[in-house]
Amino acid sequence: MIELEHIIKNFQSARTTDKKDKKDSIHAVNDVSLKINDGDIFGIIGFSGAGKSTLVRCINLLERPDSGSVKIDGVEMMTLKPKELYKARTKIGMIFQQFNLMPSRTVFQNVAYPLRDMTKEQVRARVRELLSLVEISDKENAYPSELSGGQKQRVAIARALANDPTILLCDEATSALDPQTTASILQLLKDLNKKLGLTIVVITHEMEVVKNICLKAAVMDAGKIIETGDVFEIFSNPKHTVTKNFVRTTSNLSKIETLIRDDSPMVRLKPGELMARLVYIHADVSEPLISYASRAFDIEINIILADVEIVAGAMVGGTVVIFNGEREKINRAIQYYRDKDIRVEVIKDAGA
Amino acid sequence: MQELNVWLPNLMRRLPEFWKACGDTLLMEVWSGGIIFIFGLIFGIILTVTKPGGIMENRTIYQVLDKIINLFRSIPFIILLTALMPLSRLIMGTAIYVRGVIVPLVFGATPFFARQVESALAQTDKGLVEAALSMGSSPFEVIFRVYLRESIAPLTRAITITIISLLGLTAMAGAVGAGGLGDFAIRYGHDRNMIDITWVTVIVLVTGVSVVQWLGEFIARRNTH
Repeated sequence: MIELEHIIKNFQSARTTDKKDKKDSIHAVNDVSLKINDGDIFGIIGFSGAGKSTLVRCINLLERPDSGSVKIDGVEMMTLKPKELYKARTKIGMIFQQFNLMPSRTVFQNVAYPLRDMTKEQVRARVRELLSLVEISDKENAYPSELSGGQKQRVAIARALANDPTILLCDEATSALDPQTTASILQLLKDLNKKLGLTIVVITHEMEVVKNICLKAAVMDAGKIIETGDVFEIFSNPKHTVTKNFVRTTSNLSKIETLIRDDSPMVRLKPGELMARLVYIHADVSEPLISYASRAFDIEINIILADVEIVAGAMVGGTVVIFNGEREKINRAIQYYRDKDIRVEVIKDAGA
Repeated sequence: MQELNVWLPNLMRRLPEFWKACGDTLLMEVWSGGIIFIFGLIFGIILTVTKPGGIMENRTIYQVLDKIINLFRSIPFIILLTALMPLSRLIMGTAIYVRGVIVPLVFGATPFFARQVESALAQTDKGLVEAALSMGSSPFEVIFRVYLRESIAPLTRAITITIISLLGLTAMAGAVGAGGLGDFAIRYGHDRNMIDITWVTVIVLVTGVSVVQWLGEFIARRNTH
């Protein structure tokens, strides 16, 4: 269990190192409290500069918070002596966007790096075990420069898992990978979570990643956590503007605004027509809503756009439709949808 | 042999002295080079880890060391040679010949090498350091297993450059009684206008520099993956 309480981390504005050179980001992390349960895959999403990378570094104290409490399995990390902290870190694996493999070492030597107090035979056995766990045994003697991005990240995962950590921190771990490789790395993380009972914290700016593997997530903006909960809840019913923007970036439905702005013939309404967005916010939409309403209320419902996805095992998404028919009947259809807990947003009305 | 006597008359008459000069230069390189390597490496590492954002960030140590290095780098070597004579007598017991010039050579080239080490280590990806720390490495482990180990190629290049510039300093030291090839070339080649001695000295030095350069590049390349 990871418990963060009232974490505050400030950076002086004159720092010149990578992440810290944003002159205005005085409060990198501003009073964040968070609890992550054992065995969870927890997502932390936010636009770049939101403070999520700093926050995740507060978990293993790569960044020491200015104030607050960091507890891992009940142990307060902030008060550990240096040696105890180094030891504690071996139980918190971490992987990075740029993989951070040592270029002068082979795959084998990279994975062996964190192993200590072991005989040569034990090291060899452990490294081989890890490499087969991440399915990259054939690259044992290759140098990182000879590997593809996905392969590098697999090696990095093997290295992070060398000392049997209970927690794996992933800092934008798939952001440098193509979609297909991203999917395979995410699948690997999912498997590891199941197989090893690993708690995984995923930092990302890609909604796709969270949608794919997380059950719970927090949304970060300007150093604060603005929304947290089940991923399905966040997707189907985002409350904060930033969250809404995020959800929108992943949804097809946002294209409708562009279409309207460009005055596409697809979205020109005839008199009496009404365009609306139907958003499913319940986990169990299985009825044939469109065709039922069309028949029951004797109207035409024309689907312009549709985007339905499975998030955290449940359906999320919606459609953009144009209603055509008598206004009275259209209103009854809309009421019917609302009764079914479908959010109906009227986009354009060519009114009666 | 007959040919050499014709072409290099002055050198052939002073052959034993020439070999001794070569030996002295080598001796100065090896002794001062060894000491410079150790101190320069230590100071370069201290600069790297104590600088702002470093793994053992310490403003005071960094600033003091940084200023001292700048101070010594700004003193022309020929002045350093004279200025450090008393110190040299104190440490080595003499201010002349090979023994007497080790101290000024060390003071002259260590700051240069320390800066070279600093910039070699600065090429280490910050991410590697972060990864090592996340795996539970202590700062000392990071120095030896990440910074030094991952910088073998740039460090080799830094050593090469330092050895070569040290060669220039030993020649200068020859002017104030250190012996060696520089002294040999000045005394005969310059003062007595024995042009063959000047040329042979140049050839020996160029060959030496080329060998060091080639060896350094060879090692650096073997350690680049």
